[in-house]
Amino acid sequence: MKKQLFQLDRRTFMAGLATSVALPGAIGLSAGSAFAEAQTPKRGGTLTTVAWPGTTYMNAAITTSGPESFLSPKFFDGLLGYDFGMVEKPALATEWSIAEDGKRVTFKLRPGVKWHDGEAFTSKDVAFTFMEVLKVHHGRGRSLFADLQAVETPDDLTAVFVLGKPAPAMLKALDGRESPILPAHIYAGTNIMENPANTKPIGTGAFRLASYERGASVVMERNPDYWDEGKPYLDRIILQYIPDASTRTAMLEAGQADIVFLNFLPALDTLRLAAMPDFELVEAGYETSASNQQMDFNLEREIFKDARVRHAIAHAIDRQWIVDNVWHGFGVAGASPLHHDQRAFYTTEGVPQYALDLAKAEALLDEAGHPRGANGVRFELTIDPTPYGDESLTAAEYIREQFRQIGIQLNIRTQDYAVFIKRCWTDRDFDLCLYTAAMGADPTIGVQRFYWSKNFKPGVAFSNGSSYSNPEVDALLEASQVELDPDKRREQFAKFQQIAMTDLPTLPVVHTTRATIGWQKVKDHTVDALGSLGNLANCWIDG
Amino acid sequence: MPRYVLRRLSQAVLVMLLVVIGSFFLVKMAPGDLVDVLAGNSDMTADQMASLRVRYGLDQPVLVQLFIYMSRLVMLDFGYSPLNAAPVLDVIMGRWPVTAILVVSSVVISMTVGTVLGVISARNAGNPIDLSISILMLVLYATPSFVIAICFILFFSVFLGAMPIAGFATVGTQATGFAYAWDVVKHLAMPVAALCTFYVAIYGRIGRASMLEVLKLDYVRTARAKGLPERRVIYVHALRNALLPLVTMAGLQVSALVGGAVLIETIFGLPGMGRTAFDAVFERDTNLLLGVLFISSLSVVVVNFVIDLLYMALDPRVELA
Amino acid sequence: MTVGSQSLIVRLLRHPSGLVGLLLIALAVGMALGAGFFFPAGPWTMAGPPRLWPGQNAAFLLGTDSLGRDLAAGLFHGSRVSLAVGASAAVVSILIGTVVGSLSGYYGGWLDDVLMRLTDAMQTIPSFLSAIAIVGIVGPSLPTIIFAIAIVSWPMIARLVRAEFLRLRTYDFVQSCRIIGMSDMRIIFTQILPNCLAPIIVASSVLVATAIIVEASLSFLGLGDPNAMSWGTILGNGRAALRTAWYMTAIPATALVLTVLALNLVGDALNDVLNPRLKERS
Repeated sequence: MKKQLFQLDRRTFMAGLATSVALPGAIGLSAGSAFAEAQTPKRGGTLTTVAWPGTTYMNAAITTSGPESFLSPKFFDGLLGYDFGMVEKPALATEWSIAEDGKRVTFKLRPGVKWHDGEAFTSKDVAFTFMEVLKVHHGRGRSLFADLQAVETPDDLTAVFVLGKPAPAMLKALDGRESPILPAHIYAGTNIMENPANTKPIGTGAFRLASYERGASVVMERNPDYWDEGKPYLDRIILQYIPDASTRTAMLEAGQADIVFLNFLPALDTLRLAAMPDFELVEAGYETSASNQQMDFNLEREIFKDARVRHAIAHAIDRQWIVDNVWHGFGVAGASPLHHDQRAFYTTEGVPQYALDLAKAEALLDEAGHPRGANGVRFELTIDPTPYGDESLTAAEYIREQFRQIGIQLNIRTQDYAVFIKRCWTDRDFDLCLYTAAMGADPTIGVQRFYWSKNFKPGVAFSNGSSYSNPEVDALLEASQVELDPDKRREQFAKFQQIAMTDLPTLPVVHTTRATIGWQKVKDHTVDALGSLGNLANCWIDG
Repeated sequence: MPRYVLRRLSQAVLVMLLVVIGSFFLVKMAPGDLVDVLAGNSDMTADQMASLRVRYGLDQPVLVQLFIYMSRLVMLDFGYSPLNAAPVLDVIMGRWPVTAILVVSSVVISMTVGTVLGVISARNAGNPIDLSISILMLVLYATPSFVIAICFILFFSVFLGAMPIAGFATVGTQATGFAYAWDVVKHLAMPVAALCTFYVAIYGRIGRASMLEVLKLDYVRTARAKGLPERRVIYVHALRNALLPLVTMAGLQVSALVGGAVLIETIFGLPGMGRTAFDAVFERDTNLLLGVLFISSLSVVVVNFVIDLLYMALDPRVELA
Repeated sequence: MTVGSQSLIVRLLRHPSGLVGLLLIALAVGMALGAGFFFPAGPWTMAGPPRLWPGQNAAFLLGTDSLGRDLAAGLFHGSRVSLAVGASAAVVSILIGTVVGSLSGYYGGWLDDVLMRLTDAMQTIPSFLSAIAIVGIVGPSLPTIIFAIAIVSWPMIARLVRAEFLRLRTYDFVQSCRIIGMSDMRIIFTQILPNCLAPIIVASSVLVATAIIVEASLSFLGLGDPNAMSWGTILGNGRAALRTAWYMTAIPATALVLTVLALNLVGDALNDVLNPRLKERS
């Protein structure tokens, strides 16, 4: 019974969040004493956590894949950190300033920082990392830093970014997960992708690598020389890779793991444990990895060229039902191409919404010239849910039932990840494809790629998969890339959200929310916008 | 005898060749390749994807790829696993022992337990003990190993809090020697038990049948007639002969156990060959998958080869086809 | 030598494990046949509130799953898919195995060598791994799953048939057929094969049982056909809710275990009935 009540609370709370985030500056956070209480941290102890899949590398400068995103910030620092609401705060850079025209950004670096091997950290490392690594080998970095022409290093503790045009989104992507700073003395002049340091990290971060068993576990130990005096509090972090979600639950419950980040437990198990007094659920700290579950209409298919068909489909799918029963409350019904964690820009004001209305859906399909046939079927479609996680397949099963009621026969096709990616973005052999994708710390980083006509690039995964093209949207997106005035940028994105939801090339299904579930004794694991994707230097164990 | 060994050896080589070619074409049948997976995990441009394909030799015709692969294999070069950013051989060397220990202990334990149960059953043929053992065998036989594995975790680890759930040993342990061995035993107890149940049932049923057969043979009757103690008749005279079919079974079972290990390794978070192959299929890590198939097949071939030789040494009358 | 089908059934029913096994299988087949009658809307309809426990609502006797689908409907319709996969996979592997085994055993020589090395190779690669690779690579659909299971199970039948052929081809009646100039194919299909039906029939019950378990294992790993609900599918779906609603896993698991158990009982009974030599065993 407690579970039911709890779920209800959370749901109403989240519904409130959906409206409150439209208000500028509103910081809606879920409950969780991890960062609300001010207790004196205790030094020492080992934190054990579980995840899946195993990692390939130990730094996230050369890949944007998930396992590295979690590990990298423990070993490497970024120039900046982010407080709740993505407010910049110092990390390796202590001060930063943007020139009037937005084309020069100057960073003052922290003195006395040492790499794990004892070498001194300088502006050379910054210049090297951005120019030689992130611009070349990092998936998002390539576009994000495309206009970064040079990093000047007037002295060891100053780095000046010289930009071709202003890049307001860049300042939201300088943390140790998105843009970790690598040691030039280890990497310069080597084949970066094959440098052995990719699996034996030497960073400036709070933890050093103690041992690594491929595909099985990573042990991190405290960096005693960390620049943040007295931190980290933990002696060790043990990360075990466990493929089966139910096994992960059993480990947490049996006390063989202390905490599980990033929704690595089945949602129902998370809720069940959260209802127990020994466990605590925290939903904050995932602002840099806000993700939407969305469904692309392949606009190259004749049937989807008619907006009425897309609108009818939107009216047939109850997104709240999917939030409640597929995501078990960990999300908000899709209402915008953005994610509600992109607080500065997310809005539903004046943005068309498509409430569940099967009669209207049928009327729209009739109007569009697709009457029901003799067998009650109007037409047949195929949906390709991503094999990544169960939620897309389960949602597809629900959508199939909804479609049946309005006379569309939907076939579900499953395939492994390689085939799914190839089918949707290279071969373009799909009607509908359903997947979850990161929206980025800023819409320019994560959202633009799905709607910008110049990003219709067959062969590139998670590009503009619907093949949507609207000159007005292109103009808005391109203007927002270089707009320095936050208010003007907000207006541009507001207009974009209205048009995108009117044209509806992609249906936002769920704005997902992520959760951390752990034993009460684990304290202060989520103290800022980065949460567990930060360095966990503040985390400590009580008792 | 040397002629037989030679013949048997050439057969083994031929089988391995078929395994290599067969698995290579199976893997190459897959739509999409490694680069598609990498592109899905990490944003990439079309140019980068093309250059990666060149780097991993995926731009070559399939037959050329097969030729290159086989000529490398002769030099024991299994290639590079992009998924692990390491040579395939290094990855496999870390995982082979896990599966080997899992499979070998499962064979030994299921053979011992199964045979003992089978003998007890046979000695009590027709009475309630036989019936209850037979029913137990049936249930063990019919219950999928993953169901048993889940029940074990829930009961022994979550409910009793007694057993470690995942991994080969405690992560980051400093223990050595006996303490380390004990740690490994505790970690592998549940996986081995779950993997065993099905085979305990099989050995039990075969053991019972072959024991009943043997007990009727003349020499056992003679032994009994001579007034030898029943225990001696059963365990020395009868069992020795009843064991022969069981040993042959063991050879066949090794291959099946490696397959079954996929589920067990998945549930118990064991970094073994089965789970590695499973992930390699879906990540299109061709070299790794081929390497795992090759090494596990090789292990099976070697085990069977040794069993055949032993068999022949023990009983020269046995004709080996 | 051939056994009349009626007397076979009667003899099976007289056999205690045969009786229990046949009754359970009849129940499963009855569920499969009656699925359309009892649950005309199919197993996918989200008919009720999600996560309803068994007995909580009279309309859903076995409760509902995470999406509000009737578990009883799933169980009935699922028996269709599970039994069909089991039976078809068994039939296909018996076909392949019989052809390979009879050619190999009848002709011997190089053909025997080639076919047997192929059989060795198939048995050497861990079979469940091959099944995963095939389904993973070709894509999970019922035909692929059936094909994958069949392709890894035929070697057992091939060896069985080959051994029978090696034994039978030296018999007088086969030699006399040769002498009167009967074609090889006729000898194989009309003379030898009918005489090795008994061991094939006994093995087939084990094949069906194994195929059902393999299908469930594949579904458990997420490799089931998303458009066909089998017991394995329900099992896989229920897993995420194992701790909050264990009935979602327990119900299909029970059905699965009982069916496999029944097939084995029938197999044992068939063995006893068809191999009178071993009758005293039980």
